[in-house]
Amino acid sequence: MQMTKEAKKIEPILRVQDLKVSFNSARGRVKVLEGVDFELYPGEILALVGETGCGKSVTAKTALNLIPQARPYLRGHVYFQGQDLTALPNQALVSIWGKRISMIFQNPQASINPVFTLGEQMFRLIKMFLPEEIKSIQQQSGIGAKTAVRQIATEKLKEVGLMETERLLNSYAFEISGGMAQRYKIALALLSSPEILIADEATSSLDVTVQAHILKLLKKMCRLKGTAILFITHDLGIAAQICDRIAVMYAGRIVEIAETAEIFVNPLHPYTKGLLGAVPQLGMQKQLTSIPGLIPDLSNPPEGCRFHPRCESAGDLCRREKPAYRYAGASHTVACDGPKRSDSL
Amino acid sequence: MEALIHLKEVKTYFPHEKTALGKIVSWVKAVDNVTLDIFRGECLGLVGESGCGKSTLGRTILRLAPLSSGSIIFGGEEIGHLPFKALQPYRPRMQMVFQDPRASLNPRMKIVEILKEALHICPQIDKREHFERATQLLDMVDMRPEYLFRYPHEFSGGQQQRICIARALATQPDFLVFDEATSALDVSVQAQIINLMAMLRGKLGLTYLFISHDLSILEQVCTRVAVMYAGDIVEIRDAASLFKTPGHPYTKALRDALPIADPARRHELGTLQGEVPKLTHPPPGCKFHPRCSYATDICAEQQPAVAFSEPGSWVRCHHHEELWKKRVLH
Repeated sequence: MQMTKEAKKIEPILRVQDLKVSFNSARGRVKVLEGVDFELYPGEILALVGETGCGKSVTAKTALNLIPQARPYLRGHVYFQGQDLTALPNQALVSIWGKRISMIFQNPQASINPVFTLGEQMFRLIKMFLPEEIKSIQQQSGIGAKTAVRQIATEKLKEVGLMETERLLNSYAFEISGGMAQRYKIALALLSSPEILIADEATSSLDVTVQAHILKLLKKMCRLKGTAILFITHDLGIAAQICDRIAVMYAGRIVEIAETAEIFVNPLHPYTKGLLGAVPQLGMQKQLTSIPGLIPDLSNPPEGCRFHPRCESAGDLCRREKPAYRYAGASHTVACDGPKRSDSL
Repeated sequence: MEALIHLKEVKTYFPHEKTALGKIVSWVKAVDNVTLDIFRGECLGLVGESGCGKSTLGRTILRLAPLSSGSIIFGGEEIGHLPFKALQPYRPRMQMVFQDPRASLNPRMKIVEILKEALHICPQIDKREHFERATQLLDMVDMRPEYLFRYPHEFSGGQQQRICIARALATQPDFLVFDEATSALDVSVQAQIINLMAMLRGKLGLTYLFISHDLSILEQVCTRVAVMYAGDIVEIRDAASLFKTPGHPYTKALRDALPIADPARRHELGTLQGEVPKLTHPPPGCKFHPRCSYATDICAEQQPAVAFSEPGSWVRCHHHEELWKKRVLH
C-alpha cells in the first residue's frame, strides 16, 4: 500500500466531482448517476465494484463524455489534467479518447472490427499515434514506412505475450480465441501509452485460467508504463487480488471507497458488508448471507439514502437525507450516516 | 452409498465434417468416455473451462443430447438407449435449471400457466389439484401466491430463477441438473439462490448435478466435485478437500488461477500455458499433457488409468502417486 500513500501527495490524474446523469425512458427519467465522486491517481489500479445496473459502466462512459444523448442531462465535473471533459467539444475529446484515456471492453471479439484484419486495424493506430517512432526506425535501419509499422506492431504484440504475430496480423477477429483477442485489445489500448486505461468487465467473459493471464498482464503493463487503471468489475475476487483501492457503488453513487485491505477488514457501509457476506471464498466454508430486498427502480429511487429500504440499521435520517461523505481514516470514505448503529451489524 | 445415476463409458459425439456424400469423417468428442456415479442425496459439482463438455454431459444424462455409446443407469434402470416414447415416464423424475432464467421462461405465459404446464406430464397429479400445487410450489421457493398471475418480465433475475426452480420441482423429481444456474446473477442474489437450493435439497431429499465454472461456489454448495477437461473427468473428490489438496495438475491450475475475495490471501495468480485443445482432435494419451508442467513421455503415449483412493473419489494422472507423496500440488 506504499504506493497509494505516496500517490496521495500527488495530484489525481482524474477527478470526478458530483457527476449526475439521467436518461429518458418510457417510464420517465431514470436517474442513473446521483452524484459520483472519486479520484484516480497516476499509476494506481482502482476497482469500481457493484451489482448489475448500479451505474459502473455509465460512470466510466459519461466521465469520458462518450454518451452523446446523455450530454444535455450531464451535471458535475470530470477533470482530466485541468481540463473539464464534460465541457469539451467533440473535436477536443477526440484527441483524448483512445490516445490519452483508452478503454477495453467485456467482449473482446465484438469490439474488434470484423471486416478488417487485426493487422490493418493495428497499423492504422500505429500510424496515428506513433509517427515519430516510425520515422526513427526508418532512419536507423533505412526500411520503408510499411515495414517499420509492421515491426512496431510485432514488437507491441510480443509485449502482451502474443506469439505467431505474423499469422495473427493477417487474421480476422473470428479466427482468434477470446483470450488472444483481449490481449490484442490491450496491446492496442496501450499503444499510445495512455495515462488512464478503463477496463470495463475486461475479463468477465473469459475462463479463470485465461483471466489470470490477462489480469497479470494488465498489472504488469500498467506498472511498466505508469498507466492508471479504472477496473470496473462485479467480481470482488479480482478487486481483492489486483487492485490498490476499491470503490463500492450502489444505485448511482459510490457508497464506500478505501484501500483494498482496509475495505475487506473494516467495511463500514452496510451494503459493503452485505456484498462481502455474499461472496463465497475458496478454502473457507461459511454461511452465505444475502442482502434482503431488491435493487431500487432508478426511475423512482427511494428518498434519502438509496440503500435505506434494504438496510437493517436505517434510521429516520436515512429516509430523509442523502448521507454526506465521511472520512473514516486517511483514505477511507463512506457515505453512511448511521455508522454507530451499522457497526453493530 | 447408493448410486442414483450410474454412467458407464458414456460418449457423446457430434458430427463435425462430412464428405460430399454425407459420410461423417470427423467428430466433436464433447463427452469422451465418462464413467461416473452420482449418489442419492448428494450435490455433485462439475467444473471445467468453457467448451470442456460439462453442459453436454449434463444434457446427456437427461437424454437431451444424443448418447453415442455407453450406458446410463437411472434409479437401477437402463435409460441410455430407450426410445423417445419409452423415456416419457422417466422425464418427470429428472429436471434441469438453466443459466439464463429470462430466456427459459415463456414471456407470453403467466407464472401459473408455466407451472401448470410442467404438471401436465405428471399423470399422478389430478388436474383439479394443479392450481393448489402451483401455489405450493411458489411457496417452496419463498414467493408470494399473488405472483401466480404475473408475467416473467415483471420479475428480477433472482426471482425468475426461483420460478425456474419451482417449475423444475413441479414434477416431483429425484434429480436436478443446474447448468450454470447462478452465473448470470449478482453475488447477493446468487447467495439467496444457493441457500434456497441447499434448503430444498435437504427438505425434499433431492440429488443435484451442479455445473459451474466458479470453484468457490462449488466448494460452498457441493458434497463432491468432478473436474472435467476436454470431455473427460480428470479428478473427482469431496468438495472440502479437492481444492485444498488437488490430486491432478489441472485441478491445481484451476485453483491457482482463481482470484480469491480476500486481500489477506493475495497470491501470484497461476497461469496455464497453451490453449484448450480442439475437441475434434484431442491430443493423444493424457489430454492435458501439452499444458502440464509435470508431463513426461508416457503422458503423450498412454491414456492414464483411474487411480482410486476411496469410493467415489479418483484421479486420472500417470504421475499421481509421486506428485501426491511429494505434495507438489498442494
